[in-house]
Amino acid sequence: MSMLKVNGTEHDVRSSPDTPLLYVLRNELGIMTPKFGCGMAQCGACSVLLDGAEMRACITPVAAAEGKEVTTVEGLPARWAKQRNLSAQTAQDTLHPVQEAWVEEQVPQCGICQFGMMIKVTELLEANPKPTDADIKAALTTSGPSPHLCRCASYAAILDGVHHAARLMAKGAK
Amino acid sequence: MSTPDTVFSIYGATLNRRSFLVASGSLVVALGMKPAASNTVAAPTNSLDATQPSSWIEIHADNTLVIRTGKCDFGQSSIYTAYRQIVAEELDVPVEAITTVISGDTDRTPDGGGTFGLLRTNVMNLRKAAAYTREAALELAARNLGVPRTQLKIANGVIAGGGKSVTYGALVAGESLQLTIPVRGNLTDFGGLQVAGDPPLKPTSSYTVVGQPIKNPSLRPKMSGEALWVNDVKLPGMLHARVVHPATLGSTLVSAGKVDKSQFPNTQVVVIGNLVGVLAPDEWEVILAAQVVGANTKWSEWKGLPGHRNLLEHLQSKVDWNEIPAAKGAQAGDAVAASAKASKTHSGTYFVPYHKHAPISPTVSLADVKPNGSVTLHTHSQNPQFLRMAIAKMLGRPETDVVIRTYPGASHFGRSNGGNAGSEDEAVLLSRAVGKPVRVQWMRPDDMQWSTQSSASMSKIRISLDEKGKIQTYQADHSGPPMQDDRPIGALLAGLPTIEAPGPNNASRLHSTTMNVADRWVYTEVPNVAEAGHGTYQIGQRESAIGVGLRDHSMRTPIQFQQNFPREAAISEAAALAGADPIQFRIDHTKEERFKTILARLREESGWQTRPSPAPSAGAKESKILRGQGASIMLRDNGYWACACHVAVTPETGEVRVERLTIVVDPGIVVNPLQLKRQVQAGSLMGVSQALHEEVMFDEGAITSTHWGTYPILTMAEMPEVKVVIAGRPEFGVYGQGSESANALAAPAIVAAFFDATGRPARRIPLRPEYVKSVLAS
Repeated sequence: MSMLKVNGTEHDVRSSPDTPLLYVLRNELGIMTPKFGCGMAQCGACSVLLDGAEMRACITPVAAAEGKEVTTVEGLPARWAKQRNLSAQTAQDTLHPVQEAWVEEQVPQCGICQFGMMIKVTELLEANPKPTDADIKAALTTSGPSPHLCRCASYAAILDGVHHAARLMAKGAK
Repeated sequence: MSTPDTVFSIYGATLNRRSFLVASGSLVVALGMKPAASNTVAAPTNSLDATQPSSWIEIHADNTLVIRTGKCDFGQSSIYTAYRQIVAEELDVPVEAITTVISGDTDRTPDGGGTFGLLRTNVMNLRKAAAYTREAALELAARNLGVPRTQLKIANGVIAGGGKSVTYGALVAGESLQLTIPVRGNLTDFGGLQVAGDPPLKPTSSYTVVGQPIKNPSLRPKMSGEALWVNDVKLPGMLHARVVHPATLGSTLVSAGKVDKSQFPNTQVVVIGNLVGVLAPDEWEVILAAQVVGANTKWSEWKGLPGHRNLLEHLQSKVDWNEIPAAKGAQAGDAVAASAKASKTHSGTYFVPYHKHAPISPTVSLADVKPNGSVTLHTHSQNPQFLRMAIAKMLGRPETDVVIRTYPGASHFGRSNGGNAGSEDEAVLLSRAVGKPVRVQWMRPDDMQWSTQSSASMSKIRISLDEKGKIQTYQADHSGPPMQDDRPIGALLAGLPTIEAPGPNNASRLHSTTMNVADRWVYTEVPNVAEAGHGTYQIGQRESAIGVGLRDHSMRTPIQFQQNFPREAAISEAAALAGADPIQFRIDHTKEERFKTILARLREESGWQTRPSPAPSAGAKESKILRGQGASIMLRDNGYWACACHVAVTPETGEVRVERLTIVVDPGIVVNPLQLKRQVQAGSLMGVSQALHEEVMFDEGAITSTHWGTYPILTMAEMPEVKVVIAGRPEFGVYGQGSESANALAAPAIVAAFFDATGRPARRIPLRPEYVKSVLAS
């Protein structure tokens, strides 16, 4: 039994300590936005934030996440609200600016990779509020264990989405 | 329930009223009996559960509408955007009034058929259903208001005339109305049911909703995390399963591996023929256990594939192309005679390798087979009714026993347009075996090795020019394995019934080994044309002990991708032979005004340098980087496409970078410019991925591209600057497709740009460094 803090809530976890975080989140805690893509840290579909840093839940044993804060897309609105001191109600009614931008810019095609994309972009924008195209491409290609892959090749829309999210975050709105 | 009374008939549709008042009220559009002349099974005999609504369109008293379609969303957005717009247009209601779209579920949607050609033919069911509904509403309003029909007009959901008005909602309030419309076809056939008859369609010239850039309402619940994906479905008491697939595409099972109960206490192994399933309540346990079982499972040896390195040679010299009768494509004049008199001739052999659909998330399905034989299958399929047929056939049960529920999932670009993408049938068989719901998740290697692939193709092209550099003859021979094997893999492994493998005598034309010429001929100024297609069997299938081999399946623009690539690459080389600019050369060889218009636009928008290829700098020894430009065109489903790619080649490393991609599309009517732009951007970039990276590798027995390391795809850092120019021509009154066509344009434009940059023709894809260096060294 280990303790896992996900999206601000602490959970007692029954899964064996070697179980990858992905299966604990999905099967034991019902947190479903991290998706199984490859199981080899090759695609980024399973990405979550671990103490604010993007990592691949498919190869990270749950034991390695103990004592750290896990954030998934489900927790992005609350993360934003906390960063901006928004009320609990506002947090509930609002999406994180990255999610909002993804909808506004109609970024996804099928959308299965976009949870991991949004996690990576959140990490990027928290460190670099006004990234260039090159910064964005580097973040989503060379900064992690593998590129974040989109089979639909929605990369042009993702670029628009990141710039849109940066504008929303700069305004502090939404 | 009382017997409905017929109110009236109109354009072959019949409006019935049930003789009681209901609290709210509705009008639903229902399946009609097929015309008696048809000899196939009528829809009602294998129709939906009669207790479930089966309506294409439901109008409620509060002026909201529900639409239903058997098609699904695979990232095209069409069923949530274009379909709502087209129905709203026919009914003259605000698009926001269509609040709900129900799709795919075999017990809750009316028409079946596959998710492809969404705007070509498939939208006609809903469009006609809407037209019937509008006419019935007008007639009903005329009677209720006491105003002649001819005086009534509809705008914004209000039917008005003669100083009176009524909304759609008010028309149905307190009523239970059913409009029965004529249909033909068979629900669980590949194409499903089609709405018959010819209700008057709204003139496209008066469209106001079609053409608006409305957003896709399904994206917010997806991005917020609320949407339930097929990956996320959980059934009470379910077991997680992995399948240990055979060692090769032709192996049979010698002995299944055992599980060590001390290590995996809750795991069981189920063997059905050559299908080996590993099941446990815990997913991580079953993943680990399946690895152990897989390592201890013995399979027979099999070698029946040529290996990907020998594939072109295999197609050239090992396949008997006389086994399957040739098919003809475009024909004009006498190409053989005219070719003999040519001034100059270009000839070349072009090659497209096997491609993988390669969804980001491997396929996953959940099945619940009850003791009474009923099956509920939760999945992500582009043709759920055809999948229902395949599952019933596999089990030897009536189709009425099978319900398919569909969910959002990873896009797989046509792989399941014949029902299965893999895992569905395995989940059903394992659930039946253990008497519990079962979730089969394919791992990445399963998805790469045991799914179908887009077939390889070889084309011999010969183009002869007269002394003025005009094309006198165009001859093309396209050869390759077939493109549509819809046999589910689990059924094959288990040795259970499926539809037939692609063959010359397959009753279904779609599942034939005949190689049709799918690429529409566009160079209508050319006087002598002879195109032919040469088919064969799937490679390794007849030799495989389990009838598998390299199973093929359509992907995006099936066969057309494989035939447009050689045609357009060759046309660019012929332009060089003629000393002509490649865009002007294309303009000069077509009579089609729509092509001339978009090609002229492409020249302006792409920063094109008008000159012949190769570029003056081509092959310069001192250059570290060589740059070039190339173009391509395509006609598909009333959509006219033109593309230019600008590339940079680094001879030392063999690296090819696409720096800019410009695409101009005239789809006739632009249903939704926002969604079209996104589809074109993404589809064309996937084409760049195929051109630069993608080739399925295999040895003599198995596919060796097992993950993203051995089947690389385009990364974001490699994306070119993408410019999409939408140049619609609504006056032609037809919808052109958006999501799939864009995919085929990049490859021929990239090889043409490579030729422009280097002076060396690359007649196959992908342009990986090893191949590029060999071309430059030749």
